[in-house]
Amino acid sequence: MTELAAMTPVPTAPKRIPTDWKSDLMQRRIRKRYASERRFRFIGLAAVSLSVAFLAFLLITMIGNGARGFTQTDIRLPVNFAQTSLMLDPTALTGPNAEAALAAANIQGATEEAAVAAFGPDGADYISDGAWLSVRAAIRKDPAILGKTVDIAVPASTHIDIAAKNGADPEIRAAYQKLEATGRLSTGFNLNFLTGSNSNDPTLVGIWGAFKGSLLTMIVTLLLAFPIGVLAALYLEEYAPRNRWTDLIEVSINNLAAVPSIIFGLLGLAVFLNVMHLPRSAALVGGLTLALMTMPVIVIAGRNAIKSVPPSIRDAALGIGASPVQVVFHHVLPLALPGILTGTIIGMARALGETAPLLMIGMRAFIPAPPAGITDPATVLPVQIYLWADEVSRGFVEKTSAAIIVLLVFLLSMNGLAIYLRNKFEQRW
Amino acid sequence: MTTNHKMIARDVSVFYGDKKAIDSVSIDVDMENVTAFIGPSGCGKSTFLRTLNRMNDTISIARVEGTIELDGEDIYASGMDVVQLRARVGMVFQKPNPFPKSIYENVAYGPRIHGLAAGKPEMDQVVEKSLRRAGLWDEVKDRLQDSGTALSGGQQQRLCIARAIAVDPEVILMDEPCSALDPIATAKIEELIHELRGRYAIVIVTHNMQQAARVSQRTAFFHLGTLVEYGETSEIFTNPRQEKTKDYITGRYG
Amino acid sequence: MSLLAILFLVLGLGLISWISARMRASRFVRGVGSDRPHSLPSYHGWYVGLWVTIPALLFLAVWASVSPGLISQAVLATPGAANLPAFGMERAAVLSEARAIATGAVHGGFHAQAASLAPAYRTAIMHYGLIGAAVTLILAFAGGAFAFTKVRSDFRARTRVERLVMGALLIASLIAILTTIGIFGSLVFESWRFFNMVSPLEFLFGTQWSPQTAIRADQVGSSGAFGAVALFWGTIFIGAIIAMIVAIPLGLMSAVYLTQYAKPSTRRWVKPILEILAGVPTVVYGYFAALTVAPALRDFAVMIGISNASSESALAAGIVMGVMIIPFVSSMADDSIAAVPQSMRDGSLAMGATPSETIRKVLLPAALPGVVGGVLLAVSRAIGETMIVVMAAGLAANLTLNPFASVTTVTTQIVQLLTGDQEFESAKTLAAFALGLVLFIVTLLLNIVALRVVKKYREAYD
Repeated sequence: MTELAAMTPVPTAPKRIPTDWKSDLMQRRIRKRYASERRFRFIGLAAVSLSVAFLAFLLITMIGNGARGFTQTDIRLPVNFAQTSLMLDPTALTGPNAEAALAAANIQGATEEAAVAAFGPDGADYISDGAWLSVRAAIRKDPAILGKTVDIAVPASTHIDIAAKNGADPEIRAAYQKLEATGRLSTGFNLNFLTGSNSNDPTLVGIWGAFKGSLLTMIVTLLLAFPIGVLAALYLEEYAPRNRWTDLIEVSINNLAAVPSIIFGLLGLAVFLNVMHLPRSAALVGGLTLALMTMPVIVIAGRNAIKSVPPSIRDAALGIGASPVQVVFHHVLPLALPGILTGTIIGMARALGETAPLLMIGMRAFIPAPPAGITDPATVLPVQIYLWADEVSRGFVEKTSAAIIVLLVFLLSMNGLAIYLRNKFEQRW
Repeated sequence: MTTNHKMIARDVSVFYGDKKAIDSVSIDVDMENVTAFIGPSGCGKSTFLRTLNRMNDTISIARVEGTIELDGEDIYASGMDVVQLRARVGMVFQKPNPFPKSIYENVAYGPRIHGLAAGKPEMDQVVEKSLRRAGLWDEVKDRLQDSGTALSGGQQQRLCIARAIAVDPEVILMDEPCSALDPIATAKIEELIHELRGRYAIVIVTHNMQQAARVSQRTAFFHLGTLVEYGETSEIFTNPRQEKTKDYITGRYG
Repeated sequence: MSLLAILFLVLGLGLISWISARMRASRFVRGVGSDRPHSLPSYHGWYVGLWVTIPALLFLAVWASVSPGLISQAVLATPGAANLPAFGMERAAVLSEARAIATGAVHGGFHAQAASLAPAYRTAIMHYGLIGAAVTLILAFAGGAFAFTKVRSDFRARTRVERLVMGALLIASLIAILTTIGIFGSLVFESWRFFNMVSPLEFLFGTQWSPQTAIRADQVGSSGAFGAVALFWGTIFIGAIIAMIVAIPLGLMSAVYLTQYAKPSTRRWVKPILEILAGVPTVVYGYFAALTVAPALRDFAVMIGISNASSESALAAGIVMGVMIIPFVSSMADDSIAAVPQSMRDGSLAMGATPSETIRKVLLPAALPGVVGGVLLAVSRAIGETMIVVMAAGLAANLTLNPFASVTTVTTQIVQLLTGDQEFESAKTLAAFALGLVLFIVTLLLNIVALRVVKKYREAYD
């Protein structure tokens, strides 16, 4: 302790002069420090508020634009079949050749004539290009109306539709007011938007086709990614020997989870389409591509869930003579399942919102009818949104936003379910 | 009340939520004295220590009742500035916690935020003085720019003491400062406490009774959140008034 | 017989064999000690069931991919196919039409020849379908019979089944490696073909980007230029500069506020809201950027006197991308700050530092490596992001510092190059793979560096 003793004499004065904390200088300084504290805190609050405000702004914009997409203006069009050029015999529509007869008749022309007759020379512009489909449906339902004069509700054209929702040029507003005066306009819920498919005419589009494509794609993705992901997670967490191969697998999975999604699209294009010659634009290929993208997410979530099952449970099971496979499938997997499911839902939600890789494999085609199977050409909701966003016609703006609302509702409920599961089953050992 | 006492605690109770952790403790702390808090683990001695510089404020559910005065000022009064309070009542923790900065910056941190040194030469002086007082200067003077986390455990703890000294406190609270150290490092810290005693009021929490006997002049024995006995160290260890204190000191429990 | 029918038949056989083997095994004498049957009855069931299904299904999978080739060979061998057009496109069209007629997908053909080939197709399909079904069923029965004879009291069915389970686990985890190899292999292969047409030096250092190559060989003046520097710059400008200027301060300060200042109840509400921001699909951000943000920014630019402001500006895409990245940066920063030991914070507060001084001078410097790692990951995500830039950033390859000008990015060009009607073999489409390779390598390096930084940082405090 000689060394210590040598240091003991303190070089400065033995009696300390205490710091005067009450001096003006100190008080000023402390006020400045508190001001900076408040400033810093305010900046933090502002950052959070700004982020939340941006989300709110985005949602409000989408809902504001999209809510109108769910409604549609209809015109009760008086059709006097006797005065149109329609050559259609009601009796022909009851026999076996009814469809052929309907297909041959110029219903579209007749519809436009009726519109002109009712609303003047511009009449044909007031009704949607697809208005004749409603007329055809009416004839099919009751052929007896041929030869009579009946009111048939047909969709209004985009211009009139927008004018009805308060947002058009003065010229079109004038036309709209003229129509409105006839009392033949009505705006109601647009059921066709939920049941229809893509179309060139914004008044006729629907999301069912794209939605069904999404559904088929997600089924393929889930069927592939979930079992593979869970099995791989089990292997890596429970059985994998510590060696170079295992490291390689782990590095692969971690990197795949961070690879940009568009790269998976390039993989799908090069391997699934050009090497394996699977059908282009099909839900099968989309599902395969997204499965490769989702699998690492499930593996990582699965490993974390499995890791959180305490070793004591494994020891207990092994102790009563269970084989390693029994330990895992009877004890570890059931306990880890909520965590795995949460990760799977989050991965699936991400896949559902994915656009870029599907563009690469051609799921951007114009699909006027919903796909019947996983090998049919299909599109998915996000791609449909992208395609509609590119359309020039103003009527598509509200339809795009409406489709976004539908997509967001699905994604948010999936994420909400995941958060709920996480909170409900979160277990602390 | 004599003005001789540096800190006076009266009827101090601490609650964590609904749970009462400290029950009505009254204690005085004097300048140029080392006061030791002893007791079995979980007895509330560390909790009480943390009320002395309001470190319990950082735990949102903690609530303090009673009064604690520093030089006659209530430290829980609304006019008391917690930042200045903590500069006047420094603290050294159980586990050495140097910041991941250089040795120099660790010591200079306090004077810098409180504006206690104007200019680099003065700061150099403060750093050297503090390191000298902490008995670390000769070991680190050639590598002041090395990271504080690269030192050995005992050196780290002395660095933390130097860091606390650098803001020129009046009271130094030490929360089991040697529990993470080996015997040789512990001996050095004890030596240091002895040196520092002449300038500060020191309060040390320890679970090591020999240490309390070695370094302190006064000892307080805590048990289950209450203060069982408080008096001269020699008195407590040789002639405890309470049966409980005697049992603890003779090793019946703890 | 259709593939699906055979599939269900095999699965049904598997179920039956599972049940019967299980019943048989359950009749074993229940001895004691070493006389006890080695495996539970259900393991015998699984053993037999798997022997029935797996070889049969493996064969079915191989057959399903081979038989279309065999069928068309058989059809081409018929005399009716002799006068097929030799030219590729039409020949393929006729064949696929004939197949469609044969399977009943369509009724009338566009090519007259298709209808005549249809019967040949129908017989070939029937023929090979029968062969496939027969072999599959034989395999199923043979496997089942083989396994069934093994079901004895001392047979270690459990060991066998578990070995198979382990095999399945291993294969599942190898798929990750296969995917990585697939990505790297296809990108390198297609890029190599691209670099046979365009010099890598021109690609990496050229500043001229106009990928319009001649569609017909006799077209003049459109040989295409593939200098990608402007693309790289646009990607960095939007993803690594503008987006980060938005995302780093907002994300970092949000994390600081939520971890250090906010009440637990506030934190419980705000964190999921920020997570929602991360869950919004990129196409929605893209639409928002193109529809709302970009026009507003252009008007703003014109107002402050920038005449050449584009409606597809780098700024619009960058800001919206930055907002998308906020939750990512915030959660990485959150983790890093949480990893700094509480004792650091206590140490600083006990010196009389204010919370903000503690955060700025102790917590953030200590958390810096983790934050830097998180930012690198965020950059890697931003430069690989596609939809926002496709919808809002434009196509003109400009080397500009003006944020109101239009720039293009690597991902935008990949989409652009691959979504037109193009022959796959052209330099234009192959260029997309070369761009993809660059993107893949850069994001990979960023991720490796970032993960290493973060890992090292975590170890420092463990």
